[in-house]
Amino acid sequence: MTAVARAAGLLVLAIVLLAGVPAMIALTGRFDLYYTFTLISLLAIASAGVWVTFYIGRINIGQAAYALIGGYVSAILVSAYGVSFWLTVPIAGLFCAAASVLIGLPILRLRGVYFAMVTLVSTEVARLLALALPITGGAKGMVNLPLPGPVSVFGVTLIPDFTSLGNPRFAFYIVSVVLMFVVFIALYRLVHSRVGNLFLSLQQNEELASSIGINIAYLRVIAYAVSSFFGGVAGAMFAAISQSVYPSSFTVADSVNFMLNCFLGGLGYVLGPLVGTFVLRFGWDLLFEAQQYQLLIYSVVLIALMLVLPNGLLSLFGRGRRKAAR
Amino acid sequence: MEQVIVNGLYLGAQYALIALGLTLIFALMNVLNFAHGQMYVLGGFVTYTVYGQWHLPFVVALIASSVTLAVLGALIEKFLFRTVIRRSTREESTMLLAAAIAFLFDAVILLVFGEKQRGVPKILDGVLNTGSVIIPYDRILVGCLAVVFIIAFMLFMQFSRTGRAMRALAQDRVAAQLMGINVDRYSMIGFAVGALLAGLVGGLLVAITGINSGIGGPISIKAFMMVMIGGAGVVGGAIAGGFILGMLEAVGLSVLHAYGDITYLVIFASLMVFLSIRPNGLMGKPWG
Amino acid sequence: MEGILQAVNLTKRYGGLVAVNDVSFNVIEREILSVIGPNGAGKSTLFKLIASFVRPTSGKVVFQGERISGRAPHLVARIGVVRTFQEATIFKGMSVRDNVIIAHHLRSRANLFGFFLGTRTARADEADFARSADDILNFLGLSELRDEQASALPQGHLRALGIAIGLATNPKVLLLDEPFAGMNHDETMRAVEMVRGVRDRGVTVMLVEHDMPAVMRISDRIVVLNFGEKIAEGTPAEIQRDEKVIEAYLGVEDETIGV
Repeated sequence: MTAVARAAGLLVLAIVLLAGVPAMIALTGRFDLYYTFTLISLLAIASAGVWVTFYIGRINIGQAAYALIGGYVSAILVSAYGVSFWLTVPIAGLFCAAASVLIGLPILRLRGVYFAMVTLVSTEVARLLALALPITGGAKGMVNLPLPGPVSVFGVTLIPDFTSLGNPRFAFYIVSVVLMFVVFIALYRLVHSRVGNLFLSLQQNEELASSIGINIAYLRVIAYAVSSFFGGVAGAMFAAISQSVYPSSFTVADSVNFMLNCFLGGLGYVLGPLVGTFVLRFGWDLLFEAQQYQLLIYSVVLIALMLVLPNGLLSLFGRGRRKAAR
Repeated sequence: MEQVIVNGLYLGAQYALIALGLTLIFALMNVLNFAHGQMYVLGGFVTYTVYGQWHLPFVVALIASSVTLAVLGALIEKFLFRTVIRRSTREESTMLLAAAIAFLFDAVILLVFGEKQRGVPKILDGVLNTGSVIIPYDRILVGCLAVVFIIAFMLFMQFSRTGRAMRALAQDRVAAQLMGINVDRYSMIGFAVGALLAGLVGGLLVAITGINSGIGGPISIKAFMMVMIGGAGVVGGAIAGGFILGMLEAVGLSVLHAYGDITYLVIFASLMVFLSIRPNGLMGKPWG
Repeated sequence: MEGILQAVNLTKRYGGLVAVNDVSFNVIEREILSVIGPNGAGKSTLFKLIASFVRPTSGKVVFQGERISGRAPHLVARIGVVRTFQEATIFKGMSVRDNVIIAHHLRSRANLFGFFLGTRTARADEADFARSADDILNFLGLSELRDEQASALPQGHLRALGIAIGLATNPKVLLLDEPFAGMNHDETMRAVEMVRGVRDRGVTVMLVEHDMPAVMRISDRIVVLNFGEKIAEGTPAEIQRDEKVIEAYLGVEDETIGV
């Protein structure tokens, strides 16, 4: 795809998401879909983080921990210190990145199932910490978080005060979609730059990478920090939307889901986590009509998809980023 | 003190059986069976049906659980995992399949058996009371049975032709193929045996603690933890991991339960530290 | 004569097994030094020790007067001692050209962030790497295969790529682990020329090899290991005459030690 075609494609997508979808929602009156799509955008951001860890060859089942931490960081800063919500989003991300550096240094040496299991455990650890630490309000969680305030630059209001909006859901939707755009553009750039190549070398042959002078410990930590940053950002946004955060806001099931989103979309494709999140989440919501058969149909379809497209849905469209053949 | 040890041993034996099944599957196919807990649950429900509802002897129920899970395991390996492994470029793709299978099990179990907690009549009445240790007879029986099965499994793996073939396969897939071992067949058998073990423990424990459809996930996580501690892919590791977790729980329940969630926090945090020092568990085979 | 690299009383123990036992030798700058010995003699372990992939139980490796043993492998690579592997010498999923380009990494002047953003320094680096990679590919006869997936290469080209990757790091000492393995006579001769060419570019080359005629042909000096110990060190002619060496290879056809 040429650069022009790519830019055009992005523009079309932006128009569809930012104008087309709202129009369709207004027409059909399905205003609940705003929440669904917002959620999908945020979950896609978290899944994008997991995808980055896959890119350096690690199985990450712990992203929910960072989403939870991000949510709490934002909630605490907003409610206890009156910080503007918009500022807390990058702060939450950076906090998670810092935490992941500390945790990552020892555990990134682990590989395969062992790394996966440690990350799985870390999700539980985050939940238990949320229950135990005094600052988080324990099991009650943090509720009644205020809606985001305005953002103005040089007197020009870029983002209005959410409390003044008649339909904050629409505003959250726009913000989440824009954020998702930024994240995936950054991800694309990352993968196609030298940094992406370096990550790929880690995934394919860590020993060789080390022997040609690549600082694998450093790179692994960077990848993990980027991953956790995305998780924290998603968590912070989620806290604002639900105006609350509990120890159970993000659980092990969520960690597993973020991972599954990546698998379903395709580990070899930058848009994999987005497609996977959309299909899994939207599919699950659609199946609500099936009531008690919801899980049954969901799992059967999932298995069928895996049998037909074991490399993810996007493998239908040809080879993505080259991956190691095993 | 002795009470704690006895409880720990009893729990440990059950857990070891579960861990053995999981580690066998991992050793043979490099697949982490996400559905292991659900297989346990299904085994429990089959025993519940055969023994609790149809009033057939407990032994028959156990056999039913084992056979059901073995057959299901074989089918799953042959038609699902084999296809995905063959066609996928990345080894980890099987994780999605395993998770989907776990969901499927959960769905079916919920639909067929409902979400209520189920129990069965006690298989043995009475309690052994030596003064320092109090333990019901049925727990002793189940604990002994578990140990018997563990030993039987180890003997099977060590001395039977199938067992030796599977061990060769676990050690080196390519070499095993060169020696004429039918990789497909023994992968299937291995998966079936792994599933069988999970179902067997489910059947054993339904007689003690009952069963409900929601514990599949938590059991899977416990199984993962055991394999983490002891090391994946190695029989000794699974047994060690099982008994260690059993002991930890027994100790934790009695000593630390006053402190609630901090217990598990400490256990988990220690686990993370432990794994950082010993990346492959106590005796596990390295990944990849 | 003090050379560019010295092994000083290197010993490596794995539990009860002694893989390398008190091995010392000197490597002269710009020579081609081969390490030979029967299977299990400890040659690969020795290479791992020299490139610092493994810590010595005792002893040290000195490079240009500085101790390098015990330091992180990627740092040792940056200092100038680079090792290519016996197996898995390449990045399977990348193109041949990308394999070589990425091996230039330790020569980069821009940092990660710069590469992400595409700063001028980063772009200059990329241009340099591309030029250098093409040059190396040309030198090793791989230019035609630049865009092929590395995993699709036949054996001989695979080894050449491994050498290309090693060269891209601009090493002072290059350790080649069995570069001629699995090659027929013609391929081996071409590979021998390649290795000579590498040396002529100013690189000191150390080889581990089993192919005796090739070793005798290409080496300036040879070190012989047996059961982890050094039993001989000298020119090919000296080694061929050495009794201890002949004894170590007893039971093996005469022609394999080039006699």
